[in-house]
Amino acid sequence: MTTTTARPVRVPGSSRAPGRRRRVHGRDLVGAALSLPALLLFAFFAIYPGLRVFYLSLFDYSLTAPPEFVGLDNFRFLAEDPRFRQAVLNSLFYTVGTYLPALALALALAVVLRRRMRGLGWVRLLYFLPVATSWVAISVVWRLVLHPDGLLNETLHIDVNWLTSSSTARWALVIMGIWKETGFFLILFLAGLARMPEDVHEAALVDGANTWQRFWRVTFPLLKPITAICSVIAVIRGFQAFSPQVVLTGGAFDTEVVNLFVYKTAFESARMGRASAVAVLMFLLLIAVTLVQLRVFRRNDV
Amino acid sequence: MAFVLAVAVAGTGALTACGGDDEGGDGNVTLTFWTHTHPPMIDLNKKLIAEYESKHPNVKIEYQQIPNTEFATKMLTSLSTGAGPDIINMDDNALRGEYFPKRLLSPIDPAGFGKSSVEEVEAEYVPGTLDGAKDAEGKLYGVPSEFNGTAFAINTKHFKDAGLDPANPPKTWQDVVDYGKKLNAAGHKQAFNFLYLHSGWYNQWFQTLANQTGGSILSQDGKTATLTSDGSKKALQLWVELARTSGIADPKTSSRDATAPYQDLASGVQSMAIVYPWSMDQIKGSNPDTYKDLAVVPLPQVDAAAQPVSRVYGYFWSVNAASKRKSEAWQFIAYLASARDRWLTDVSFVQPVKGWESSAPAKQIPFIDVIAQAYANGRYDQVGPHWNEVQDTIHKAVDEAVFDGKPVDQVLTEANEAVQRSIGS
Repeated sequence: MTTTTARPVRVPGSSRAPGRRRRVHGRDLVGAALSLPALLLFAFFAIYPGLRVFYLSLFDYSLTAPPEFVGLDNFRFLAEDPRFRQAVLNSLFYTVGTYLPALALALALAVVLRRRMRGLGWVRLLYFLPVATSWVAISVVWRLVLHPDGLLNETLHIDVNWLTSSSTARWALVIMGIWKETGFFLILFLAGLARMPEDVHEAALVDGANTWQRFWRVTFPLLKPITAICSVIAVIRGFQAFSPQVVLTGGAFDTEVVNLFVYKTAFESARMGRASAVAVLMFLLLIAVTLVQLRVFRRNDV
Repeated sequence: MAFVLAVAVAGTGALTACGGDDEGGDGNVTLTFWTHTHPPMIDLNKKLIAEYESKHPNVKIEYQQIPNTEFATKMLTSLSTGAGPDIINMDDNALRGEYFPKRLLSPIDPAGFGKSSVEEVEAEYVPGTLDGAKDAEGKLYGVPSEFNGTAFAINTKHFKDAGLDPANPPKTWQDVVDYGKKLNAAGHKQAFNFLYLHSGWYNQWFQTLANQTGGSILSQDGKTATLTSDGSKKALQLWVELARTSGIADPKTSSRDATAPYQDLASGVQSMAIVYPWSMDQIKGSNPDTYKDLAVVPLPQVDAAAQPVSRVYGYFWSVNAASKRKSEAWQFIAYLASARDRWLTDVSFVQPVKGWESSAPAKQIPFIDVIAQAYANGRYDQVGPHWNEVQDTIHKAVDEAVFDGKPVDQVLTEANEAVQRSIGS
């Protein structure tokens, strides 16, 4: 009888044959040991609390008495709660209103600022300054800007009470959000453009493509991976909004976003179970939206 | 935020009990004490603490002030997790709405006051004034640091500008509207305004008006929302009339800074406002020139011929249920409460002990008779379960009616459903 011993097949990209155990070097152990504190901290401060939130979402818990199991009651309540629905809509409004324009503006600015010109570094710095400043500090400044006698009204020669009406307060937050967030995406788009090979642009130029055609046919398609990342980050940042709403309106005038609803439910009403249920719903929603976004971009050859 | 919530809820149970448990072998005791920020009150607290520490060398008081905007949240959260200070100073709405049902506070210890029973402590106070610190069973949990009746301030200079007689202040809300139009004509565009600071303030204005219109937020048994009752509708309608349709002042231009209330009245922009004793003291400190022009008069009524109805509220010194030094904490509270004349002279805080109004310091305060009368007509606010949510609902309803112009019927129907949902869940 002849036996055939199959030769190990090398997997492309793999540096070693399957079946063979890689020797553990001393430096690997040192690396693992050095990572351990960070991993433990991450587990304690991120993984455990995250799992605990899932667990508590099934309980009625006011901190002062032991949690009482209520099954899906918290989720049932939220499904019927107009205030929660309004908070989701407010978050959606803020996210779409702020981040679509911010992404478009950042992309346009990135294309312009990519060119070499005098003082470009300073211009980039100016756009990035709001990103580096805290939301609370910026919100305090914008309260002055949006005051009836503030900079915005004085500059535009209008008389609008921005923060005391449902029809204007949410737009005021959006305007501020666009101003604050554009710089963040600008940096990402600039990084994407910097990695883009010049020869494709030159080839398009030789082929007679005008500026608009070069942008739509060359630059934009090549930036799709960055655009995908930016849009995922945009949705997450939009639904994480909290500080500007607290500082500018306290959640009044249809600006109570989901995170503010969670904060009030948890820390003002001490309904920890219900607040946890909102956090779980938002987690699931953001996961779903992210997967959809990634699928859409992947379908478009990103 | 979800992460913050996650860490907060995950950490509950792991937190240690409150301060005050660090008695060393030498018998030293540390007590922690939190209040909100009101500069004259803080100054006197610091003086009294220094005196107490010099009289009791083994006691150290760690005093912290929490910004007004985060005071309620921080206090409730810290006490709920078994932490927080030994001694708190909190308003009766929060005590009755959140603290008593959650059993966060310790019942009063008469021994700390040198008394043999709670009844003996109560006997020193004007009847009814301690109701804000009693739970549903009538158990007492604190003594007042301040007791406030509701009055009305008018700027006499503005009145003279408009040809109005300051000695004949508005007696009804209709008078406020009529006078307001004359003040507007004289160039004083902020004739009367409410303060739109946070949900607690919205709630107090609503209850002030509802007391007079026969309205309420909950039924007597606290189980049913009653915001669609005629009295409640009249209260919000009156608010809309005063703030919006009368046109005597634009509520949108009102200062909304909760850390410094009464800015518009203090700066001389506003002509009339609902005030409390402490607000006058605050204006006196920040704007003495305007203070000289202000007069304090009785709160206007819906019906001048009817028995006047006002609103009272109090802040109370209480002891954390988790405190390890309850006895020492009550002794310190008794010391704070015993400085009743200084609370009046230094801060305009009334300790509602029997005969307070006839004390020498009380007689030095020019408008104190108005305040004393307000106490006689006063009612504590209605409070129920999950009161923060209820107050948020009132806030939203008022914003929609006053600022966005939505019909009162509509906003109160929606608010009624929201309140019912809050108290029933």
